[in-house]
Amino acid sequence: MRIKFPLMAIGLEVAMIVLYGLFVEYETDQSIQQFNISKQVHMEKFLDLYPLFQDVHVMIFVGFGFLMTFLKKYGFSSVGINLLIAALGLQWGTIAQGILHSHGQKVHIGIKNMINADFSTATVLISFGAVLGKISPIQMLIMTIIEIAVFAGNEYLVGEIFKASDIGASMTIHAFGAYFGLTVARILYRPGLRGGHDNEESVYHSDLFAMIGTLFLWIFWPSFNSAIAEAGDKQYLAIVNTYLSLAACVLTSYAFSSLVEHGGKLDMVHIQNATLAGGVAVGTCADMAIKPYGSMIIGSIAGIVSVIGFKFLTPLVATKLRIQDTCGVHNLHGLPGVIGGLASIVAIAMGASSTSTMVNQAFALGASIGTAIVGGLITGVILLLPLWEQPSDWDCYNDSVYWEFPRLRDHDNRFHEYHNHLEHEI
Amino acid sequence: MGYNYTRSVRCSLPLWALMLEAVLIFLFFFFTSYDGSSKDQKRLMGTYRVFQDITIMAALGLGFLTSYLRRHGWSSVAFNLFMLALGVQWAILLDGFLSQPFNRNMHISPDSIQLATMSAMSVLISLGAVLGKVNLVQLMVMVLVELTVFGSMRMVCKQILNMDNHTIMMQVHVFAAYFGLTVSGCFSSPLSKEAKENYQPATSPSLFAMLGTLFLWIFWPSFNSALLDVPSDKKKAVFNTYYALATSAVTAISVSASAHPQGKINMIHIHNAVLAGGVVVGTPGHLIISPWIAMVLGLLAGLISIGGANCLPHRVSCHRVLGIHDSCGMHYTFALPGLLGGITNVVLRMLKVSWTKDLMISYQVLHDTGGLSLIVATGLAFGFLTGFLLRLKIWKPPHAAKYFDDQAFWKFPHLAVGF
Repeated sequence: MRIKFPLMAIGLEVAMIVLYGLFVEYETDQSIQQFNISKQVHMEKFLDLYPLFQDVHVMIFVGFGFLMTFLKKYGFSSVGINLLIAALGLQWGTIAQGILHSHGQKVHIGIKNMINADFSTATVLISFGAVLGKISPIQMLIMTIIEIAVFAGNEYLVGEIFKASDIGASMTIHAFGAYFGLTVARILYRPGLRGGHDNEESVYHSDLFAMIGTLFLWIFWPSFNSAIAEAGDKQYLAIVNTYLSLAACVLTSYAFSSLVEHGGKLDMVHIQNATLAGGVAVGTCADMAIKPYGSMIIGSIAGIVSVIGFKFLTPLVATKLRIQDTCGVHNLHGLPGVIGGLASIVAIAMGASSTSTMVNQAFALGASIGTAIVGGLITGVILLLPLWEQPSDWDCYNDSVYWEFPRLRDHDNRFHEYHNHLEHEI
Repeated sequence: MGYNYTRSVRCSLPLWALMLEAVLIFLFFFFTSYDGSSKDQKRLMGTYRVFQDITIMAALGLGFLTSYLRRHGWSSVAFNLFMLALGVQWAILLDGFLSQPFNRNMHISPDSIQLATMSAMSVLISLGAVLGKVNLVQLMVMVLVELTVFGSMRMVCKQILNMDNHTIMMQVHVFAAYFGLTVSGCFSSPLSKEAKENYQPATSPSLFAMLGTLFLWIFWPSFNSALLDVPSDKKKAVFNTYYALATSAVTAISVSASAHPQGKINMIHIHNAVLAGGVVVGTPGHLIISPWIAMVLGLLAGLISIGGANCLPHRVSCHRVLGIHDSCGMHYTFALPGLLGGITNVVLRMLKVSWTKDLMISYQVLHDTGGLSLIVATGLAFGFLTGFLLRLKIWKPPHAAKYFDDQAFWKFPHLAVGF
């Protein structure tokens, strides 16, 4: 770690700086003129969208970061590595997307580029959830670089060639990120962890930390889905639809969580994740006129599917397909993302939007999953090379491998005391 | 094993929740539509900001505010989210029905969702008083009843008493706290030994509660100014709230220290009392013309809040005298400062009358006074009814021994594997 990781990270950063020097510029008066608006209007637009950008930023850094802190000994890495790869990813995402969209010209940074760059990091963070605890920071850096490049390609394919509509990016971000991560997890399958790992579980307080992430994501999801929507009506639709879908999703996920557990108890894992499925699923058709009840139906279905996925599908996938999905991203992002794609096909069939066709949406969904799996295969094979300081099976899900940990023992004692106490009562 | 196994809500919770959601979707299908008018980007973003701030306060702030008990954090946060989601959907419909009874397409916009969130906050505040003693099914019933009562009361105040939206909504604290307290009073049996052991703050949960407090504290100016239409009023409300909050925070921390024999600060006081300043300037915020008045109010609110929590330790006195157990000290955070705010509002208007000799305003004073008493009375009366409704055995309430215990409602995986 001591040599390879700093070398790699600094090397990548230097490469970024060089690339920025070559390809990236601020907006100049000439570049603004392309949009046929005055500088004044352009500035106002920037300030209008800046709060939305901040919301997305909060989701990426606080929301995703804390959502993954549920493991009892992996909180530092979840938040810390989340920050590292998001910071690297947004630099790389700006370039990768910018160059594709400007067809090799120089990239002019505007507020939309910043939002899109945050979006591209979201894919990596979702994939990170699938392999959480099982790979080293070095592997994560490599995965970030490859995944964002593949994502930019897929996004270009979906948006520019198929002309499909995917405003909240259910397909291009959520489904893509989830299946990419799952494929990598499949390739990096660790037979040694088949029976579970001592540290692969949560404790009382780590679950509360994860709840912080959940709430931030829940609150700001309407911003995520409306950030790049057309100003005015479409943005309004995206906000209202996403909110209603999320609200409906909360009800059904609690209901199903209680239904599938013994004694009607709730499961914290379901509450942390399934309550967000509504936001993922409504993403693709967020800016379509699907009516308030339409978005509520989408949200309800997503909540139900997500809980059922956690309860029944994840164990099955782990044993039969040999995919160890740490955070259950398949149920939070994969399945709801697919639901989002299907919902958009239904919505277009019912005439909610005329910007895209059913066939294009279907192609977009297929392309997202297809490229994700191919990209994931390639990345997985590269990550298998024994150069990247992979943690041993024993060291998985453990912060102390990568972090200086002065008072670990103290915390441990307290948790132990607390749980011994609980055990006594049972 | 006896009481270790709580009564299962496996049948009732999914059934009720799914049925409710189905009914809600059905009602939305028939009665709602988008706002068809074209939207100005600037205005949309402006309202969306406020809407976002209020959602943060409701979901994150109020959720974590009540999470300081050592074994009740999960329920505090998660039940709060559930009730918010249900409450907002119900309140959107209710607002539409009550304002235009036979309108078949009410418009949904960030404004209407924001208003619904503010109504739903009444339930979340009441939740603070009953938390730990009820299960999710009972809370669902409470959401429906309380929001219906609150919505109708707002209509009555508006139509008959001519009060404006802002004044009524800012009394939400008083209404909700008294509602919650009376509901809690109906579960009056003294706490069992186990429940008393669970009913203790702990270090990490207290820090989580601080997170909620801070988010509420930061965004409170948005809440107090959200429903004011005139920009100058809005500005005044923001400034006054800001200064009152700052004063009450300083007061709360210093008085909390002085109340302790060794001058130590009590974290529980801080969680609640620093917010009292925001509550107190809610109603009169736009009438206060200079910051010092707001600061005096903030000071008083801080004193009341700490004094109430300390000199009349509610856990003892209320418990002995009235048999009410206020789980998270809602009486001193929301009810008393809210009352003080309502009275200040009346006094400020009265002063205005004596200056201007305007008859219209003097009627308004009467109306405001009537409104405040109506709000308290409705809160108490319907709280009582709801409490009785919730005591029915059909909701399968948790055992008294399992009060304030997450284990009654949650699956604990790490215990199953013998951690």
